[in-house]
Amino acid sequence: MATLAVDRKSALRRELESIVGRDGVLSDPDELLVYESDGLTLFRALADFVVFPTCAEHVAAVVRLANREALPFVARGAGTGLSGGCLPAEGGLVISMMRMNRVLEVDYDNQVAVVEPGLVNLHLSWAVGPRGFYYAPDPSSQQACTIGGNIANNSGGPHTLKYGVTVNHVLGLEVVLPDGELVWLGGKTRDALGYDLAGVFVGSEGTFGIATKIAVRILKKPQAVKTVLAVFDQIDQASAAVSAIIARGLVPAAVEMIDQLTIQAVEDAFGCGYPRDAAAALLIELDGLRAGMEAQAERIVAACRESGAREVRTAADEAERQLLWKGRKSAFGAYGRVSPAYMVMDGVIPRTKLPYVLGRVNEIVAAHGLRVGNVFHAGDGNLHPNILYDPRKPGEEARVVAAGAEIMKVCAEVGGSISGEHGIGLEKSDFMPFIFSAADLAFMQSLKAAFNPTGLCNPGKVFPTKKSCVEAGPVAYRPHAIEERGLAQRF
Amino acid sequence: MSPLLEKLRAALGPANVLTGVDLSPFVIEGRTPEVAVFPGSSEDVAAVVQQAAAAGLPIMPWGGGTAAAVGATSARAGLVLGLKRLDRLVEHEPGDLTATVEAGMTFDALQSALRARGQWLSLDPPDGDRATVGGVIAADASGPRRHLYGTVRDLLIGLTVVTADGAIVRGGGKVVKNVAGYDLPKLFVGAYGTLGIVVEATFKLRPLAEEERLLAVTFDRLKDCGAAVRALLASDLLPNAVEIVDAAAGASLGLGAAALLVGFDGLPEQVDAQARELAMLVAPLGGRDVTVLAPATWPRLASLARDALASPAAVMTFSVLPTLVADAMEQGAAAARQRGVGSAWSAHAGVGAVTGALAADREATTVAAVLAEWRAIARAGGGHAALAWAPLAVKALVPVWDDAGPAGRVMQRIKARLDPNNVLNPGRFVAGI
Repeated sequence: MATLAVDRKSALRRELESIVGRDGVLSDPDELLVYESDGLTLFRALADFVVFPTCAEHVAAVVRLANREALPFVARGAGTGLSGGCLPAEGGLVISMMRMNRVLEVDYDNQVAVVEPGLVNLHLSWAVGPRGFYYAPDPSSQQACTIGGNIANNSGGPHTLKYGVTVNHVLGLEVVLPDGELVWLGGKTRDALGYDLAGVFVGSEGTFGIATKIAVRILKKPQAVKTVLAVFDQIDQASAAVSAIIARGLVPAAVEMIDQLTIQAVEDAFGCGYPRDAAAALLIELDGLRAGMEAQAERIVAACRESGAREVRTAADEAERQLLWKGRKSAFGAYGRVSPAYMVMDGVIPRTKLPYVLGRVNEIVAAHGLRVGNVFHAGDGNLHPNILYDPRKPGEEARVVAAGAEIMKVCAEVGGSISGEHGIGLEKSDFMPFIFSAADLAFMQSLKAAFNPTGLCNPGKVFPTKKSCVEAGPVAYRPHAIEERGLAQRF
Repeated sequence: MSPLLEKLRAALGPANVLTGVDLSPFVIEGRTPEVAVFPGSSEDVAAVVQQAAAAGLPIMPWGGGTAAAVGATSARAGLVLGLKRLDRLVEHEPGDLTATVEAGMTFDALQSALRARGQWLSLDPPDGDRATVGGVIAADASGPRRHLYGTVRDLLIGLTVVTADGAIVRGGGKVVKNVAGYDLPKLFVGAYGTLGIVVEATFKLRPLAEEERLLAVTFDRLKDCGAAVRALLASDLLPNAVEIVDAAAGASLGLGAAALLVGFDGLPEQVDAQARELAMLVAPLGGRDVTVLAPATWPRLASLARDALASPAAVMTFSVLPTLVADAMEQGAAAARQRGVGSAWSAHAGVGAVTGALAADREATTVAAVLAEWRAIARAGGGHAALAWAPLAVKALVPVWDDAGPAGRVMQRIKARLDPNNVLNPGRFVAGI
C-alpha cells in the first residue's frame, strides 16, 4: 500500500539517500515488488521504500526518520520466512539487512563469534569451519536465510533436537530499538546482567527492534557422526520407533521423518537411495565422541527393528551420509515434481502424540480433497505437513488454508503449539487464541509496548488483528515478481 | 493492615496466614515482613496479589528462602508470599521428555521423582533440598553441569505466572520447540520475582546417564589450571563440568593446591575413554595426581568458595569470558591479599562463572574497597559482577548489581509496563527495579 503523496515521497527519498547513499534506496514500484512477500506468497504488501543500510548508525538514523514521519518499518533478511513476518503490512519502510553481512569477530578460545544480521547462516559455519567449528542452528533454508532472520524467528532445524534452537546459541545483541536508540542486550559473556533481554528479543519477530550485531556461540565439530536410515512399511511403526529411541535413553542429534509421498518425490528428483515403496523412513543422526558411537548406533538399530523396521542401514561413508541428507533437505524442492504448489505447515506436538496427529492430518487433508506430504523433525515433535495443491484451480487455495487451520487446531488440542520454527507473522496471528488466553495475549502486548510503544516497528504481526491493509489470504495465486523473472522457484 | 489480614484469613484459612513471632523464619537483613501467606492454588496466589496490591503492600515471593537475601535491600518487607503448598509434580510423560511442576516443589523432590523414571532435569543448583523450582527460576540458579547442559533459560519451555495485577498468564508451552508468541519464560528467568510470580513451570528433560565421574587434577598455579581449561575446550572431549578451585576452596575436598575438576558422563566406555584422554592432556601442562572424587562431591561444587570460609564477609559472582577466569581469580585473590584479607575462589571455568568469597576479619570499608576492585576486574574483561551475599553494612557501600547501562532503561520500561504500581519485590533488582 504505497500511500505517500508524490512530493512527500521524493523529499523522503532524498533524506533516506542522505543516510544510506543513493544506491541504498528503492522506491520504484517495480523494484518494490520484489519485497512484497516472503517465502509464503499468500500474503503480499507493498512498501513505500526499501532501504539498504550498511552499518548500525544507518539503521538507527532510518528508524529515527521513520519515527519522525510516523512511518511503519520492518527489517528484512533474505526473505525466506514462511509466515509473512517481514512484510510491510502497513506500508512504510522495509529495511533490508543484506548489506550488513560481515563476520566481525571470531574468538575461538571463547567460542564466540560476532556477526552482522545479514550474514547467511551457512556462511558462518563456512567462516569458522577451517578451524574445526560450526554454528549449530541449521534451518533447511540455511544456504540462503540470514542470522538476523533466524533471530527474529528463533529458527530451528534438524539438529536442534540435541543442540537447541537459535536462542540457545545467542549470547548478546546490539539492537536499534524501535525509537532509534542503539543498545546492547546481553553481551559476550554467558550470564546476562538483569533481565535476559537478548533471550526475550530472540523470536520477537522483528517487533522489538532491529538487531545490528549478534554474538553467537560457535561449537566444536563433533569427533564422529553416524547416520542411520530406518525404513518402515507403516507410518505408525516409524512413530513408535521415535518413542522407542527416547525410551532407551538416547538423544540423537537429529531424528527426521519422511513419508511415502515425499520419498517418491525425492527419489524422482534426486535419487537419494530411499526405497520408493516405504510408508515412511526415519533419518537418524548420532554425533559426538568416537567412543561409544557403535554402541549407541546398535541401540538405535535395535529400537527401530523392534518397532517393525523392515530395513535399517547405516551410511557407510560421508558420501552416502550426504546423499541421505540431500534427500531430506531437498524434499521441499522435490514437491515441485508432484504438484504445482504446496503450502508448508508448521506445528508442534508432544512426541507421544505423533501417531494420532499424523492420522488426523491425513484425514483432514483428505476431507478437503487434497494431498499432503510429511517431512519433519520427528524427534522433537515438530510437524511439517506440506499440503499440495494447484493454485490455478478455483477454490483450492482456500481449501488449503482451511485445512491448515484445522491441523493447527489439532496441534493445540493435544497440548502442542501452532509454530515450532516458522513464526506467527501474518499467517497465524489469528490462530494465537488456539493456544493463548486473552490474559496471555494482553501480557504479551504489554511487553511489546515496553519495547515498541508506538507500534511502528513491524506492525500487524503476531497478534490477532484485522488485516485491513494487507491483501490477506486466501488470495488467488499469482507468481511472485522474482519467480516471473526466473530468479527463483517456488519452494 | 487488619482489614487486609481478615481478608487473607478468610481466603486462605487462618493457618496459612502468619503474623507476629511466627514471622521469624522470614526475617531478612533485620527486616520483619508484615505478614506471610501460603496460598494453595494459582487462583489463591492471584487473589493474594490483588489484595496486597490494593492495600499498597509490597509482595516478596518466597520459595525455600535460599536466595531471599540476594539483591538490594528494599525499604519495606511487606507481604511474604510463600509457595510451599504448591508442591505437586503435575505431569511427567517420559516419552515426551518433559515435566510440568508447581513452583513450590523443592528441586531435590522433583529430581527424585524424575530419576525414578530414568530421567532428570539437567540442572544442579545449590541447596536443592530447600531451593524450590520457582526460586531456581527466579534466581537463575545453576551448578557445575551447566557447562554441558546450559542454564534455566535453556531448559524452561513454559510457565504460568501470576502477574502484578493478579492475572494468571501462561507463556511458552509444553512442547520442546515452540516459537508461538513472545518467549515469556526467558523474561522470568533471573528476574527475582520482579515481573510476576511463577506458579508452575514446564521443563525439557534428559535421560539419566549410565555413568558419571568427577575427576580432580592439581596444578601449581591457577594460571596453569586456566591453560588446562583452554586445552580441554579446544579438544574433542565433551565434559559435563569444568571447574577451577583455588587451594582455599579445594581444601575441603582434600586437594592441597589449585585444581581443575572435570566431570564426564555417558556410556561407561565414553567416560573411561575421556578420563584417559584428560590425563594425557593435562600432564604436559603441569597437571598432577588425577584423582576420582566421590559422587557426593557434586552438590558441593556450586558453593565451594563460600563454604570454604567459616563466615564470609561477602560473596561476589563474576560473569567473564572463559579465557579470563583464572586471571580474574588470581587478580581477585591478590587484591584481597594486598589489604590483608583472605579469600577463596571457585569457577564454572568453561562458561566464565566465577565466585569469590572474602574472609570476615575487616571493617566494612575494607571489604567494600576489595569488592570495588573485584568488580573492576570483572568489567575489565567485558563482564560484570554481582554481590551474591553481603551484610547490610557492606551493601550500603557497594551496589549489589553492576551498572546495566542503556539496557537498564529497557529493563525499567519493562518493569513499568508489567508492574506499574511497583508491588513485586520493589527496589531489589538491577537498575533500581
